[in-house]
Amino acid sequence: MSADNGFEPTIIGFLCNWCSYAGADLAGGSRKKYAANVLPIRVMCSGTVSPHHIVKAFQMGADGVLVTGCHIGECHYMKGNYMTAKRIPVVKELLGFIGISPDRLMLDWVSASEGEKFARVVTEFSDKIRSLGPSPLKGRVHGRVKEESQASA
Amino acid sequence: MEELKKKVKQALEEGKIHGFLGLKADEGDISPFFMTKDNIAELEKLTAPDGRYSLGKILSRIAAQNPGKAIGVMVRGCDERAIIELTKASQLGTASTVQFGVACTPQTAEKCNCPQPYPSTIDFGEKAKSVNHGELLTKLEQMSVEDRLAYWMAQFDKCIKCYGCRNICPVCYCQECTLEDKNLVPGGIVPPATPVFHFIKAMHMADRCIDCGLCEATCPSNIPLRTIYRHMRKVMQELFDYVPGRAADDKSPLGTLEEGGRLIH
Ligand code: SF4
Ligand code: SF4
Ligand code: FES
Repeated sequence: MSADNGFEPTIIGFLCNWCSYAGADLAGGSRKKYAANVLPIRVMCSGTVSPHHIVKAFQMGADGVLVTGCHIGECHYMKGNYMTAKRIPVVKELLGFIGISPDRLMLDWVSASEGEKFARVVTEFSDKIRSLGPSPLKGRVHGRVKEESQASA
Repeated sequence: MEELKKKVKQALEEGKIHGFLGLKADEGDISPFFMTKDNIAELEKLTAPDGRYSLGKILSRIAAQNPGKAIGVMVRGCDERAIIELTKASQLGTASTVQFGVACTPQTAEKCNCPQPYPSTIDFGEKAKSVNHGELLTKLEQMSVEDRLAYWMAQFDKCIKCYGCRNICPVCYCQECTLEDKNLVPGGIVPPATPVFHFIKAMHMADRCIDCGLCEATCPSNIPLRTIYRHMRKVMQELFDYVPGRAADDKSPLGTLEEGGRLIH
């Protein structure tokens, strides 16, 4: 990878099927302009996003991870997003402690009617990750920096 | 010790407990042992040595083999905390425990860096002062995030994936372990996927680790594992006022769907 300028982050977005995915659909359907950095993964509920999925995304080179779900009180499984709300701050703390900026993980609530908000969240988060630069895990193989990327750095 | 032996013997003879789990010294070697009325002579070897064993882990196995029965067990502070976590997680089934409390010596407490070197009821020994060396944790907390990554990557790189940390942990009880999930931790590679391997363990320990330090004492690569788990314990306390090993009727906020801590609205 060359220098930071022109860096376009790869962001994995875990979108809950019932609200956020529909919100994303609405944003697209109404032709809202927003950053194209998020690769969406549709999940049934934000509460099903395990910390394992998040760390795996970083391991595979994601620069950021976005989790979106229904607003509190609107989860289609009643309290699934309570789990999300409790779990994500803990995951952030752990990421930060082992040296991955907690700002690379973001949680927000987006309802099916919030196409506008979805576009804004994605754009703002993409800008944030762009300013943070590529993930420090990128190009690492089991903790070591890959020789090629060391050579080109 | 004679006093304690007598107590255990009495409980066995009166049928208050079906069997007893403790530590014994056999020609200088320390090991865990389980005995019933039938081999009561074993009790002579009962000891409370410096060395430790993951008695909670052994207890859950014995409990599974003895449903509905009362099992006597020698507990130190850490064992008691482990049993609390195992009880919360229904790992002792229908067996019940009768605990015989042993307070650790100040030397053992120091060696273990133990936050509470005694159980709630003490049948042998005297309360030693709590120990709390947290220099490394403080140092890491003050580092920049980049320096912390460099630090942990160098540590995790030393891992030989022996699973010792998991196997010794008294509160690691899952039948199917995520650390062996080939999608997350591909097989045949050492060190195991970094930082995934240690991230998973730390995440699973967040609401369970009772800070016994056995993992770190076991790790052949001297990875300061306990410091990560101590950080996670701190996080759980700060966010949810939750402390693993405190009380059997506490519920982990990460194990229930109830409201708790600061919900993000
Ligand atoms: S200190 Fe290590 S062995 Fe002890 S409970 Fe915590 S993770 Fe398990
Ligand atoms: S005990 Fe140490 S070397 Fe073994 S798997 Fe755990 S961290 Fe790795
Ligand atoms: S269904 Fe959307 S967060 Fe649970």
